[in-house]
Amino acid sequence: MRRAKPIRFLLLPFLIVLLAACGGGEQQTGQKSGVDEGMAAEAVKPGAYKAPKVAEPCGNDCPYEGDTVTVTVNTAGKEGPISGPLYEVRDEFEAATGAKLEIVELPFAEHFPKLMTDLTSQTGEYDASIAGAWWLGDLVGGDFIIPYDKYYNDPKFPQWDDQDVLPGPRELLYYGGKKYMVANDHDGQVMYYRRDLLEDPKHQEAFQKKYGYELRPPQTWDEFADVAEYFNGKDLNGDGEPDSGLTMHLKVGGQGMFHFMSFSAPYVIGPENPNLYWFDPENMEPLIDSPGHVRALKKLVELTHYGPEAMKAWSLGESWDYFLRGEAALTFTWGDLGALAQQEGSKVKGKIGAAPIPGTTEYYNVEDGEWVKSDEINVVGNTTGGSWAGVISKFSDAPEATYYLLALMATEEKSTVYAARGWDGVDPGRYYHFLPPDGTGSMENYKKAGWNEGDAREYTTAYFDNFNAEQQFPYLRIPATFEYWTALDTNLSDAVTGQATPEEALKDTAGEIEDITERLGREQQLKIYKTSLNLE
Amino acid sequence: MRLAYRTGLGAITVLALFLVLFPFYWAFLNSIKRPEETFQPTWIPFLQFQPTLEHWRSQLATPEIRHALLNSVIISIGAATLALALGTLAAYGLARFRFNRPSNGALTTWFLSQRVLPPVMFVTPFFLLMRQFGLLDSVLALVLLNATFTLPFAVIILSQTFRELPRELEEAALVDGASHLQSFLSVVLPLALPGLAATWVICMAFSWNEFLFALSLTSKSAIPMPVIIAGAEHTRGVQFWFVGVNVLLTMLVPIVLALLAQRYIIRGLTLGAVKG
Amino acid sequence: MDSASDNSRSLGYETGPKAAPSKTRTDYTKFVFIGPAVIWIVAFTIFPLFYALYTSLYTYRFGQRFGFVGVGNFTRLVTDENLLSSLRVTLSFVAGTVTVEMVLGVALALLLSREIRGTNVMRGIATLPLFATPVAVGYLAITLYYEQDGPINSLIQAFGGKGIPWLSDPFWALVAVILVDIWQWTPFVFLITLAGLQGLPSELYDAARVDGAGAFQNFRYLTLPLLAPLLWLILLLRLVEAFRVFDIPVSLTLGGPGRATEVYSLYTYRTALRFFDHGYAAAQGILLLVIVMLIVSLIFSRIRGLYEEER
Repeated sequence: MRRAKPIRFLLLPFLIVLLAACGGGEQQTGQKSGVDEGMAAEAVKPGAYKAPKVAEPCGNDCPYEGDTVTVTVNTAGKEGPISGPLYEVRDEFEAATGAKLEIVELPFAEHFPKLMTDLTSQTGEYDASIAGAWWLGDLVGGDFIIPYDKYYNDPKFPQWDDQDVLPGPRELLYYGGKKYMVANDHDGQVMYYRRDLLEDPKHQEAFQKKYGYELRPPQTWDEFADVAEYFNGKDLNGDGEPDSGLTMHLKVGGQGMFHFMSFSAPYVIGPENPNLYWFDPENMEPLIDSPGHVRALKKLVELTHYGPEAMKAWSLGESWDYFLRGEAALTFTWGDLGALAQQEGSKVKGKIGAAPIPGTTEYYNVEDGEWVKSDEINVVGNTTGGSWAGVISKFSDAPEATYYLLALMATEEKSTVYAARGWDGVDPGRYYHFLPPDGTGSMENYKKAGWNEGDAREYTTAYFDNFNAEQQFPYLRIPATFEYWTALDTNLSDAVTGQATPEEALKDTAGEIEDITERLGREQQLKIYKTSLNLE
Repeated sequence: MRLAYRTGLGAITVLALFLVLFPFYWAFLNSIKRPEETFQPTWIPFLQFQPTLEHWRSQLATPEIRHALLNSVIISIGAATLALALGTLAAYGLARFRFNRPSNGALTTWFLSQRVLPPVMFVTPFFLLMRQFGLLDSVLALVLLNATFTLPFAVIILSQTFRELPRELEEAALVDGASHLQSFLSVVLPLALPGLAATWVICMAFSWNEFLFALSLTSKSAIPMPVIIAGAEHTRGVQFWFVGVNVLLTMLVPIVLALLAQRYIIRGLTLGAVKG
Repeated sequence: MDSASDNSRSLGYETGPKAAPSKTRTDYTKFVFIGPAVIWIVAFTIFPLFYALYTSLYTYRFGQRFGFVGVGNFTRLVTDENLLSSLRVTLSFVAGTVTVEMVLGVALALLLSREIRGTNVMRGIATLPLFATPVAVGYLAITLYYEQDGPINSLIQAFGGKGIPWLSDPFWALVAVILVDIWQWTPFVFLITLAGLQGLPSELYDAARVDGAGAFQNFRYLTLPLLAPLLWLILLLRLVEAFRVFDIPVSLTLGGPGRATEVYSLYTYRTALRFFDHGYAAAQGILLLVIVMLIVSLIFSRIRGLYEEER
């Protein structure tokens, strides 16, 4: 008897696939992406809005003829965030200087390690790196990069003004009083909310009834929790499925610890304690397990109940996708989200509201060791994130050509366009990026880049308020910053997934931080910490 | 009963193949979906969503990708062949000869130990070594390193393959006046074809997918596919369409090579029928 | 000479009286065979090994050698909670993957060893996962394991089950990583076992069939003993690889949630290339070497009987 024809069985898997597909596919009927009440999200293709040319070709008299500038940048391709502008400016740069530009894309997570390997072995293959702000502790501490003070005012280089950068992000350009980072991207986190939902009279009435106050963009984390709780489980994008009050990206290594920094800032930083979040300036002991931090983490854990379970393992993409599909009412994250909302496929274009991260009415003063009540809402601005900007390697054999490139990208004409375009990953941070009356920017600029007017206004105002806030979250830039942050990151994930209580998680974090400090030399770290915060 | 038995086997086989293929199907879907649709529960193109060929087009048009594919081909074929050449000899030595100090067992263990240390420990020394010899960012460096680290596979798998071959044919050749080397080449190797082919495929696959040394020792011209794929993780998160396209692209060449090698595994069977 | 018994037992070395006449030639010849491979490996690994040993004796700052600590890095290993945790995770991982892969791989090889129409294609398909770059597979798995109506949960729900929190739950995350590894590496076991099966002499099976043996008995009393030496080696190879698993836990979960899937290699990698603490990383590598080689030696001593000459 010949063996049974297995071909017949091949049908079975396909049946299963069809079954699952139809089961899951139900919700999709009738949904066209992006088309919604006449607010079609027009896609603005990357090539459409170009940055203007600023540097004249040098013709026969090229200053850096024969030089090659090799720049490392996070992998993202010719039309991707941070790397895109480099490709865009290459021809102009080469024509203006006679030098050649080599762009080396490195996977985001491997960028700093590969750079460090090059620097510590003094190989000098890279002239510059579009670096993350937290690298500076190791880069300056190890004496691997050079300050550009001497080039800054020299007229032979493209001119840009660091005073154009708002106070918050501006601090990150300097270290120990010298200029190291040439302004490029300015990161920070703000709160995003669904304007359409919060302005809906139906919701306003119901919310008022349930919570006893007006529904409006949350100004404190308690209010944020209320709004999230209210919207959790309701259908927020018309597809018949329940959605969530909020979404966050909490994956380990998914930059979840940045979330916590922005979140907890107003619980610890306040008028009487403007600087002390990370370490005690007397003895370098970690402050991360203070009552303020603990209360913040407890609140964060509470908030996870108003979002999808899965978000505990989500990195940026998944969380943003969720919001862009209209399935969350609130979130807080980087500027990319506002820009992504304008692109094709977004279901929330025209519905974005943005505001600075909520604050608190009570914060913990670590210096005195007690809680301080605040009549006004205690809000703290943040520059959380990479704020990717160029630094020049000490081992570069073409530092001037290198600075030329970085300065060229920092000029006002170019920066204005960069900041308005979403795809290039450069976020607004200078006065001329922001709309009047805050700054000197123009709505035209944003519209050309494809922004919905309402969204653009919300977005820029939120960021302006954030960067202009009197209190700013102290950004940690000491050696081994990433190691300290990883300790925080993994323990945060433990707390959020219930593997540890908030107290335990932060206590463990403090313990690990102590070990790191001990190992690297407490005195040294203390000195650098104080320098980095301008504390003496 | 026989029918039920065979039917059962057939069903299990199909299930196994389905499980093997499904992730590839999903990679394919990811590669033709628009990025914002990656997480939509849509399974069938055209019926449930509009597919796009844009990702494939853009990747295939990117010279870096084509270059990386070429690099990967050279590296893995070079490394596998080198590892096979060295490994086959050593395997035969271990299989047919007795070593006293160190013993055969100790030697085998030593070969095995080459695969134990986490490669990250070797990143810096190899970086320095390659820099010394001017081999940074060169395909040759990766061929040499991958040959070194897949050599243990060749030795261990093939030594067992050789052990299982009946001795008579080799003895006959020796009696006829051939040296060990000659009998090895003319008698043993042809018999061991299935093992050789399988080992070559394994060494090739491992070299193809090696990531850490590829990342640390290359910067522009010698970048192979795994580094390109790692670049899928942008600051904004993983570009799943990129992964979808590239995981499938990256597999095409080794698959073709493996299918070619597979013929030798089958050929071995017909040879075996002549045995004894 | 009874060819059947010879076939089934000639697994040893050239040691009997037959070896005597060519003894002097044998002495040199064996080095000719094993020499090239040994010299090659030693040449490439001697510097790195010493470098790693040297490195393990120092602490590092800014990625550069800082101070001599002798065994300091090694004593640090013992008190490092996170290291021990990663070791535990790795052990669970190894146990979960190697066992299943061996069983499934051998089963699959048996299944596809018959020469029927179509098995060629099926064998080809069965080896496909080996060629998928592990890093890519991890990323791909993120979309597969997506908890809100991702394909796997959709399938489970289609059969009436509840969706599983694949990536957000510490336990399930480890399961998720293990499953991906099984998917990827079972073909490894399959491929080698298949080659091994192809090399088995068919006369044995003819004889057995004449004796009226069924498929299962064939397997248990003929195939398994014959394959045993090869299978043990495959197991050892898989074991060693599993201890140093890296790509999949990194791209799928990056050790999360918390440290639930932080395997040993990831911890070492972080130590070396995120914290630039090369000295401690080298010590970790050496510890892993010791642990794994201990296990390998233990297994080897048990199975040495299979490789020793019978007489």
